[in-house]
Amino acid sequence: MDRATVERVARAAHITLTEEELERYSRDLEEILTYFELLDDAPENAERGINPIEIADVLRDDEPRMDIDPDVLLRDMNTYEGYVRGPRLS
Amino acid sequence: MKIGLEIHVQLPTKSKMFCSCPTTDAPAPNTHVCPTCLGMPGSRPVLNRKVLEYGIMLAKMLGCKVADTAWFSRKTYFYPDMSKSVQITQYDNPIGEGGVYMLNGKKPIRITRIHVEEDPGKTKRVGDLSSLVDYNRSGIPLAEIVTEPDLSTPAEAREFLGQLIADIRHVIDLPGDGERSIRCDCNISVGKERCEVKNVTGLKNVERALTFEYIRQSKILKAGGKIERETRRFDEERGVTISVRKKEFEADYGYIDEPDLGIYHIKAMADAIKIRESPQQMAARMVSEYGIDQKMAKQLIATSVSVAELFERVARETDVQNAVKWVAGPVSAHWKSLQEGDDASDDIVAAVRRFAAGEITDAECGMQIKCRLTGEDAEAAAAGSADLEALIEQVIAENPGVVADYAKNDKAINKVIGSVMRQSGGKYSSAEVVGAAKRILESKMQRTVQHLAHALGASHFDRIAPGAVKRERKGPEPLLSLTRSRIRRTRRCPGPRRGR
Amino acid sequence: MNYLPKLKQINDKYRMFHAMTPDTESDAKFLFSAKDNLTSIDMETCAGSRILGGYRPAFDATAIAKLRDAGGKLIGKTNMDEFGFGTFSTNSGWEIPRNPHDLERACGGSSGGSACAASALEGHVSLGVSTGGSICCPASFCGVYGIAPTYGRVSRYGLIDYGNSLDKIGVLSSDARDLRRYMDVIKGKDPKDPTSCVQPDGWGEASLKSVAVPKEGIEGLSKDVESAFRKFADEMVRMGVDVDYVDMPSLKYAMPAYYVLATSEASTNLARYVGMRYGQQEGDLSLKFDDYFSSFRSKYFGDEAKRRILLGTFTRMAGYSDRYYAKARQVRNVVINDYKRVLADHDAVLAPTMPFTAPRFDEISKMSALDSYKADYLTVPANLAGTPHMSLPCGYDPNGMPVGMQFVADHWNEGVLFDIAERWQSEFELKRPEVSV
Repeated sequence: MDRATVERVARAAHITLTEEELERYSRDLEEILTYFELLDDAPENAERGINPIEIADVLRDDEPRMDIDPDVLLRDMNTYEGYVRGPRLS
Repeated sequence: MKIGLEIHVQLPTKSKMFCSCPTTDAPAPNTHVCPTCLGMPGSRPVLNRKVLEYGIMLAKMLGCKVADTAWFSRKTYFYPDMSKSVQITQYDNPIGEGGVYMLNGKKPIRITRIHVEEDPGKTKRVGDLSSLVDYNRSGIPLAEIVTEPDLSTPAEAREFLGQLIADIRHVIDLPGDGERSIRCDCNISVGKERCEVKNVTGLKNVERALTFEYIRQSKILKAGGKIERETRRFDEERGVTISVRKKEFEADYGYIDEPDLGIYHIKAMADAIKIRESPQQMAARMVSEYGIDQKMAKQLIATSVSVAELFERVARETDVQNAVKWVAGPVSAHWKSLQEGDDASDDIVAAVRRFAAGEITDAECGMQIKCRLTGEDAEAAAAGSADLEALIEQVIAENPGVVADYAKNDKAINKVIGSVMRQSGGKYSSAEVVGAAKRILESKMQRTVQHLAHALGASHFDRIAPGAVKRERKGPEPLLSLTRSRIRRTRRCPGPRRGR
Repeated sequence: MNYLPKLKQINDKYRMFHAMTPDTESDAKFLFSAKDNLTSIDMETCAGSRILGGYRPAFDATAIAKLRDAGGKLIGKTNMDEFGFGTFSTNSGWEIPRNPHDLERACGGSSGGSACAASALEGHVSLGVSTGGSICCPASFCGVYGIAPTYGRVSRYGLIDYGNSLDKIGVLSSDARDLRRYMDVIKGKDPKDPTSCVQPDGWGEASLKSVAVPKEGIEGLSKDVESAFRKFADEMVRMGVDVDYVDMPSLKYAMPAYYVLATSEASTNLARYVGMRYGQQEGDLSLKFDDYFSSFRSKYFGDEAKRRILLGTFTRMAGYSDRYYAKARQVRNVVINDYKRVLADHDAVLAPTMPFTAPRFDEISKMSALDSYKADYLTVPANLAGTPHMSLPCGYDPNGMPVGMQFVADHWNEGVLFDIAERWQSEFELKRPEVSV
């Protein structure tokens, strides 16, 4: 994978790479993708499957319920007056 | 100019889309949350059945083809309000595709698709230093409706949205503030390239944002510039759109299937769901079925869909003339007085039937309907009303020209009303006097017209009411639905279109 | 059985636990441990990652809750490759477990700590998780029995996701009978995990009478593993099992298809770790959100996690997704059909679990990423297909390191795997490692 692609992918994935990492991952991913070319020769199968077995029509009824106290969920979060603190938006 | 909209509507479920947290207003931030809507490691989504049902209803309302099998996808993007940095949405197999929705019953707007997805939380800016996030909204179900760029003006876009929301509200019981919770992404192109204005809230802002964009793009094109494809946002306070990012910096969502949910065979569910006729469809049907005008149909439905349904029942069991006379008249006028949960339709139909059969008089029928709806004592009202009607008849008799004047100009009624009010000394409310005077004048006027028609034959009648006759050729229930306003219009604009 | 008083010293030596109980005695019916990607209310849960340091889940994973309800005591959370990304447990952000048969060698991965605990602690059962072979590989390297059931057999509620269409929770133990005993407890429909809600009640066929050996499954083996396999196949015949040799041409495509699907899904699962809400949260909030998120992800994700995030982000990206992600999805169907074809005439597919025995840490450090991916070629196909599979210890190489054999059964047919494991146990003398502290 060329450096420009690795840079683009890293940006999409929100990972900042050092020069050394960029170099190394380009090499590794190039090697891996070359091996993956095997997939191009693999037989096709048009059946659509999201899971290896068919998981179908599992639904729940529209009944509100709360099992866990939100205070417990928030106890280790960085909060301010009940809000979760986050970074600058723009 | 081409405008296409992506409309987000919150679906009125009791619990969230993928977890059981309540969707009601929360007492404080982050109190209607659980591991799933907070995206905590180890949590898992389970789909709310009602979300699929609402999605199917809207797909049907929009004339979309409902998918046999639906599933969900992961859309990955990073933002503080998106707790998993992944939105569970539908990408390649939405609930419905390829619909057409009629604007004002005449302009077809193509619907590309409708899908369901989860709403993110809400962010709040803290100065320019950091943000605060409330995840109570995280996981509320949304339907996203995507139109083709078939809208031509900002005003039309607003009109379309207004109609759409009214219809959605009717079909899925959207709460009254549904309009506020409508969010739109607006795509607009004046030239070749389009811009998207993201996340505009409310009808008025959609029109404002689009108008601003129209002017902005037109100016650039006029000056020989080029429109850049980009995403913009609308600043409500300043009324302007602001560039957020250019096309090449669009996020790469990298959609994949959502394996935690599996697939849904929704065909059987869709077949079992029958949706209520939307107000828009009902109005269009009533116009063609009963030969009433668009305005009256809309007014009936706007008063209440139950009133419109009662109109249809009266028309079926008696005739359209009586439906217009009674349901569009006193029934509509007093509908708001009816106690909630009280179904008066049987009694009203019975009263109109007795009138139609000649068993009770015009005044008696009007009184029965009014009393049934307002809960007034019928006998006392009858006595009072008989006095009032006698007084009105007396005033009309004292002013012989008033019926003819009224046929020309409905302001003539004021002469009768003023005189009755003075003579009765405030015994009757002005609404009562106006109602009774109107009814009596209308009925006298119609008798005059019918008498005239009868005396002169159909050709003369044609001259009096060409619209009515034209309708007669199409529909079964014709000229008797003749109304005063139509006669007046005919007289004011005589002849040029006649004979076509 | 009472190793609790010495647990800390044992862990100092083998480093199987990331978190463990301070208790030195217990009247629980049985003691168990669980891979650290299963949430537990009483122990920090990090899934082997630094980015989750400090995460105290508010809920137990269903599998852990069920074992507790059955009278078990959770004594520790086992070390693992970060988020399950590895074959040797050397990609742990915390501690790297040591093979109880030789401290210089790896336990295998990614449920390395679980296999280590099952091997070193007598009468102990450990929960593992397999995405591409993460139960059978360490079971093989540590010389214990390990089962990864059919996809959807055990609720994944409380499992910190790697690849949601691949992850399966299973059991590791030195006692073959524990597989059935504890799978009986943790299996079952759970309304909190839709994918667990379509399973049938039973375990399918009761006894294993025939196996198919794919030619593709006995290529590329080390000399020791190959000879162990020949010997084992003869043992099977002696025990009355028919052994056929078959072709399964799709198996060679399974490895790339698996890595594409697994990393595509993983890169979306790991998108949530951004320095908010849980785990590491100490950062400069005045940074713009993109930079704030990137700073945490760059700092706390390990080398292999970054590699797999990059790979998975690429394989699902517009313009590449058809060639990689969509094709891999098709190949999964091809592999499933290949298994169905062979399993129509046989009770299980048999091959060695790993092509070699547990390598030394210095050997592992010389392997490239691709080398270690390739080492998974025997375990990956069954994982891709969601078919149940089990590794049983069948012998030892000249260094005394265990060799494992892997049986793959049809969907929902774990019964034949329990059967052969129990029959084998009565024939085979398992060498427990010398555990001295």
